[in-house]
Amino acid sequence: MEQAPPDPERQLQPAPLEPLGCPDAGLGAAVGKEAAGAGEEDSGVDTMTHNNFWLKKIEISVSEAEKRTGRNAMNMQETYTAYLIETRSVEHTDGQSVLTDSLWRRYSEFELLRNYLLVYYPHIVVPPLPEKRAEFVWHKLSADNMDPDFVERRRIGLENFLLRIASHPILCRDKIFYLFLTQVFFFYLADSRLKALNATFRVKNPDKRFTDLKHYSDELQSVISHLLRVRARVADRLYGVYKVHGNYGRVFSEWSAIEKEMGDGLQSAGHHMDVYASSIDDILEDEEHYADQLKEYLFYAEALRAVCRKHELMQYDLEMAAQDLASKKQQCEELATGTVRTFSLKGMTTKLFGQETPEQREARIKVLEEQINEGEQQLKSKNLEGREFVKNAWADIERFKEQKNRDLKEALISYAVMQISMCKKGIQVWTNAKECFSKM
Amino acid sequence: MAGGPPKALPSTGPHSLRDMPHPLAGSSSEEAVGGDSTPSPDLLMARSFGDKDLILPNGGTPAGTSSPASSSSLLNRLQLDDDIDGETRDLFVIVDDPKKHVCTMETYITYRITTKSTRVEFDLPEYSVRRRYQDFDWLRSKLEESQPTHLIPPLPEKFVVKGVVDRFSEEFVETRRKALDKFLKRITDHPVLSFNEHFNVFLTAKDLNAYKKQGIALLTRMGESVKHVTGGYKLRTRPLEFAAIGDYLDTFALKLGTIDRIAQRIIKEEIEYLVELREYGPVYSTWSTLEGELAEPLEGVSACIGNCSTALEELTDDMTEDFLPVLREYILYSDSMKSVLKKRDQVQAEYEAKLEAVALRKEDRPKVPADVEKCQDRMECFNADLKADMERWQNNKRQDFRQLLMGMADKNIQYYEKCLMAWESIIPLLQEKQEAK
Repeated sequence: MEQAPPDPERQLQPAPLEPLGCPDAGLGAAVGKEAAGAGEEDSGVDTMTHNNFWLKKIEISVSEAEKRTGRNAMNMQETYTAYLIETRSVEHTDGQSVLTDSLWRRYSEFELLRNYLLVYYPHIVVPPLPEKRAEFVWHKLSADNMDPDFVERRRIGLENFLLRIASHPILCRDKIFYLFLTQVFFFYLADSRLKALNATFRVKNPDKRFTDLKHYSDELQSVISHLLRVRARVADRLYGVYKVHGNYGRVFSEWSAIEKEMGDGLQSAGHHMDVYASSIDDILEDEEHYADQLKEYLFYAEALRAVCRKHELMQYDLEMAAQDLASKKQQCEELATGTVRTFSLKGMTTKLFGQETPEQREARIKVLEEQINEGEQQLKSKNLEGREFVKNAWADIERFKEQKNRDLKEALISYAVMQISMCKKGIQVWTNAKECFSKM
Repeated sequence: MAGGPPKALPSTGPHSLRDMPHPLAGSSSEEAVGGDSTPSPDLLMARSFGDKDLILPNGGTPAGTSSPASSSSLLNRLQLDDDIDGETRDLFVIVDDPKKHVCTMETYITYRITTKSTRVEFDLPEYSVRRRYQDFDWLRSKLEESQPTHLIPPLPEKFVVKGVVDRFSEEFVETRRKALDKFLKRITDHPVLSFNEHFNVFLTAKDLNAYKKQGIALLTRMGESVKHVTGGYKLRTRPLEFAAIGDYLDTFALKLGTIDRIAQRIIKEEIEYLVELREYGPVYSTWSTLEGELAEPLEGVSACIGNCSTALEELTDDMTEDFLPVLREYILYSDSMKSVLKKRDQVQAEYEAKLEAVALRKEDRPKVPADVEKCQDRMECFNADLKADMERWQNNKRQDFRQLLMGMADKNIQYYEKCLMAWESIIPLLQEKQEAK
């Protein structure tokens, strides 16, 4: 994680006002527009079409699940389940539904979508995903993702997840959600690229350090999860290797019964094989401690993210307040000078239903001026609050970084020490066995 | 009856075949072939020697001519391979230098057989020929035929399922070469088998195919006589020692089979462990790209796991190439030994049947008819040969397994030592204090 020096330029100023082109200047449309705009370089996309997509009734279903083999990001062969997402648009006239889109997605792509939504809509309680699998437990023999019952339950859960998003007034308008349902390759963005888009969206002037920190915490979370998963599989396999050696113990013993000179050597070697096989239990028990240390930082990453999100929220809040203030100032100015530059509903109704009286106008200006005053106070205090927050948060983050580096180094050292001990035990056992064999 | 008890049995010490009187020599039985046991001189004809004269079967061209190793270096090489137990050796054989031959009809591998001997049976002190698996197979059948009272060492498996195993891969060829070398060495070490004429021809003949086609059955007396033993006689009582051998071999083969399965299972588990390790290491590498101070330690751990993965791969390769084939060989060995035991039973059964028939005839002549005596001799020879061979086999088995199992232990020790070194070398890196950036 890079440490950018605090940027004095990045004081929390109200953002410059942008002309809003949509007839509905409400928050929802603004969100929708921004979401649509964030997805691509050219702003020539007809955002209205995308927003209107959801105005037609659509049906979403996760209709099928299929086992696949392929290569993952690490170029390793793996088996996974792919789910078929079908989108149908329902014609109002005859109620008939037409299949408009269908594509296959795997669980990790659902996760990507959800992560994106979490990032983009920090205010919103984002619907959860069904369980991915049992948590990091290596000795659990029955944790089988390919089990048909598990796959079926998950299919239903994933469909439920999509339906909840589609029925959410804000989330349903999200462009990335739309692309998830319709574009096969567009959505395959690496997490970091997606997060890079984050920075330009929603919050106009986030503190870059927090943005970077958020990327870091996401990536840390993802890499530690991956590490823990693979470590569990490694432990599983290692267990198998050691335990099978135990079979030598019995067969050597049986064999030694029919041998004369070879018998003793075989028998005692067999005993060492038993020792070898049973040594793995303690070894793996010790390794769980290492896994716990990693897990702690996995969960720490979540806490880091929370701090970043808090900053984002405060920043967003501040920017909205500033925007609101600026808009009020402009209205006030227009009322005072009589020119109309902004497009507002009030202005529209005025045009349609007639001018207001000078008294009415004066009253409105007064109200606005009061609101502007209040707004300026609020903005000042929010600014202050924000700066305090950044200062304190960053101090703690620095402390956290030091702690993390210390702790994880210690964890790696203790892991290496465990491995060394395991190797030494192995050498000991096999040397003993070799000695027994030499006496055969 | 032809003379007294059998003279110097073939299984005692190395004697030239010409010197050894056959126990049944001089018998006028119709089963005898020829007058004496001296092999036809034609077949021990001088062979002109020189690599340029090497004629390969099916007219294939050798991939490259191989020059015979100089005597002293060859001797050194062979002595390192042989386990010298104080006996003066006068015959050394080594199998090496596999070469691929591509012909219109087929592709196959030949191996160079180098022989060095001071025995009179060999016209020249040194020979170098090329043979293919087929030739070894032929040799083995000939030995079984001509020396039925002896235990013939096994060959590596004949048939290889195409598509599953690559017959021309380096590993497969090397494994086979070692097994073929072992096969010839076991024959070389055998005081009777090493003097067998087929063996001699195999080691020396320029054109083995021509010899094969001659079809002269160079059976020893014993071979010939045992060949004509009629089966179908029921054995009364198996002598205790042979029953014990039979039981032993049964259990032995069973246990070896179990060990083979365990070893295969271990290799399978180790390979699966390896697959996971190969994913595990790189994750640390990915993590290190996110970090500052932790980048080097994490990268170090990743490299360490990579080294352990390599060491593990070496272990599984070694076990597959060196351990499993020897186990399989011994299983094949005990199978062929069981059939020799069966033959022995048949010989005894025939003898007992004939004896009983004589007794039933109630002749008052005390003299036992010639053919019954012959049966008795045959049986007693067989028993003696087999006993001696079993003892030899037990000794060799003990040595072989000691070496095999010590080798297995060694490979595992080496694996752990490599891993230990990798992890120990990383500790200082992990403990290093990073300079303030």
